[in-house]
Amino acid sequence: MVDLSVKIAGICLKNPVMVASGTFGFAREYSRMFDVNELGAVVTKGITLLPKEGNPPPRLFETPAGLLNSVGLENPGVEGFIRDEWPYLKNLQVPVIVNIAGETVEEYRRIAQRLSPLEGISALEVNISCPNVEKGGMAFSRHPDSAYEVVRAVKEQSPFPVIAKLSPNVSDIREIALAVEEAGADAVSLINTMLGMAVDVEKKRPVFKRVFAGLSGPAVKPIALRMVYEVYEAVKIPIIGMGGIFGWRDAVEFILAGASAVAVGSAIFSDPAAPLKIIRGLEDYATRNLKTRISDLVGLAHRNDAEF
Amino acid sequence: MHQAEIILNEKVAHSIYLLRLRANKVAESANPGQFLHVKCTKGPHPLLRRPFSIADVQRKKDTADIIYRVVGEGTSILSQKKPGEVLDLMGPLGRGFPLPLPGTLPLIVGGGVGVAPLLFLAKKLSKVAGLEGRAFLGFSSARETFGMEVFESYGFSVELATVDGTCGKMGFPTELLEDYLKSEKKVKAIVYACGPRMLLLKVKEIAASCGIPAYLSLEERMGCGIGACLGCAVKSAKGGYKKVCRDGPVFEAGEVEIW
Ligand SMILES: Cc1cc2nc3c(=O)[nH]c(=O)nc-3n(C[C@H](O)[C@H](O)[C@H](O)COP(=O)(O)OP(=O)(O)OC[C@H]3O[C@@H](n4cnc5c(N)ncnc54)[C@H](O)[C@@H]3O)c2cc1C
Ligand SMILES: Cc1cc2nc3c(=O)[nH]c(=O)nc-3n(C[C@H](O)[C@H](O)[C@H](O)COP(=O)(O)O)c2cc1C
Ligand code: FES
Repeated sequence: MVDLSVKIAGICLKNPVMVASGTFGFAREYSRMFDVNELGAVVTKGITLLPKEGNPPPRLFETPAGLLNSVGLENPGVEGFIRDEWPYLKNLQVPVIVNIAGETVEEYRRIAQRLSPLEGISALEVNISCPNVEKGGMAFSRHPDSAYEVVRAVKEQSPFPVIAKLSPNVSDIREIALAVEEAGADAVSLINTMLGMAVDVEKKRPVFKRVFAGLSGPAVKPIALRMVYEVYEAVKIPIIGMGGIFGWRDAVEFILAGASAVAVGSAIFSDPAAPLKIIRGLEDYATRNLKTRISDLVGLAHRNDAEF
Repeated sequence: MHQAEIILNEKVAHSIYLLRLRANKVAESANPGQFLHVKCTKGPHPLLRRPFSIADVQRKKDTADIIYRVVGEGTSILSQKKPGEVLDLMGPLGRGFPLPLPGTLPLIVGGGVGVAPLLFLAKKLSKVAGLEGRAFLGFSSARETFGMEVFESYGFSVELATVDGTCGKMGFPTELLEDYLKSEKKVKAIVYACGPRMLLLKVKEIAASCGIPAYLSLEERMGCGIGACLGCAVKSAKGGYKKVCRDGPVFEAGEVEIW
């Protein structure tokens, strides 16, 4: 028997496989397809202070082994979330991590404040990395100072552990990770989507109204892995790794590179059961490798040559 | 999700295929206008599933049909599948066409492969609601036509238009609808349409000007297919966006803005 449980940011997960924000709605959508309580944790769609209607269509475009999205954080706002989504989420038997986003530091602060009485939230994931909105979003994750400020503000308001979700669209992600660690983040999630674009050759125009969109899926995996590997060496707080995880092998790569837990996003569109298959695959892998705890695998790829 | 065995996958017109699946859950519960979200390959490329309207079900045989046009990678992979192979699908998904009140005349407008869900609709209208009506169908040319005899078998009278004039009237099915409504002013009718965006836009205009309710089946690129990713947005008449997969694909024409 392999012990699949992991502890990150003070939360105990029965296994290290969560779903990535924005790909799983508010869990209810998928509850008809499988038992979401089998997941390590559920992460909600990003919530903003006020409702947001999102970007005009098209919002999705497929690329080789990837997906561009320009959803633009459509969400019911924090009040709508509390009224319509939380009653379902609070009864789940798995940790629920609420992803939040804002245009100003003050907005992040106020969402965190508004969520703070909700008993049962396991952690806040602070999205300072959304590439699909006009203001705020990714801008915060581009500079260590602003990343620090947002995380600090949320940390001050929130009784819950705080996870900072970082953007890959930076020249040195370690700087940002160090800044959020210093601000008190209990963990980091990486990566959010990579900025990309597509051109419609018939219309001779960018596919997306906002021109750039966020790339996810297997196409970004090598970059995501590299960033997890880099950040693992830079910070002490645990890492939640994501970006193109489609099978157990991908998940193992992230764990060996330094992720304590992983999140599955775009793969769910292709196969809603992907997270569950990955959990089983991880268990088999650990068994084959004579590990009694999945956490014994974290960061093994960093051993120096002498140990190989 | 189910694994459905392919029973038949054959060409019915130029670049148009009929795929029949053994899928008892679909056969039992599907309504016309609902769709199946199909995984074309086992691996992660192409990454997304492909949505296809249900074109028919045979409850006694536990089968469901889709009719698709080969336009790109996913559909060309599908067209090479052989009977006996298994397809991974989700569905039936979405909201289908509502049935009209007794005594209403159903007017069906279909363009190209958009005719597919209307075949299933005609069956239900005729067999369940006991209503027969008219079908105005448009194709780009004679070699791409399909489904006319199916509508006729359900008691619908069929009028045809092709863009190049190789079959039926030269032009668009919306012109046939317009002509019909001009000649039959007092009829209590309901319009059902599926096809290219221009067709839907035109149907919406015509129905509105005649004061007739219209239901349109829309398309948008899809991710999850169940309302979780918010990828398949269409502008709502009331502001904000509806989701084609969850709130549609069939919408009352006044609910949505088709640009
Ligand atoms: C609810 C719904 C029901 C549908 N029912 C049917 C059906 O019954 N029969 C049928 O043949 N097709 C149907 N479609 C369209 C079908 O899903 C697409 O043709 C298919 O996904 C194309 O896949 P592909 O990999 O072959 O093409 P791709 O390689 O993905 O694309 C080929 C070309 O088509 C464009 N395209 C692809 N999908 C869409 C889309 N959804 N909207 C606009 N442009 C698109 C691409 O931009 C590209 O130019 C339906 C779509 C929806 C949303
Ligand atoms: C359609 C879509 C919507 C997303 N919405 C959010 C969001 O609201 N908040 C967020 O932090 N990340 C969001 N993401 C990013 C994912 O959580 C994840 O970081 C990214 O997709 C990489 O993982 P993947 O390759 O497994 O999808 C979204 C991704 C997609 C594809
Ligand atoms: S396809 Fe995901 S919301 Fe419609």
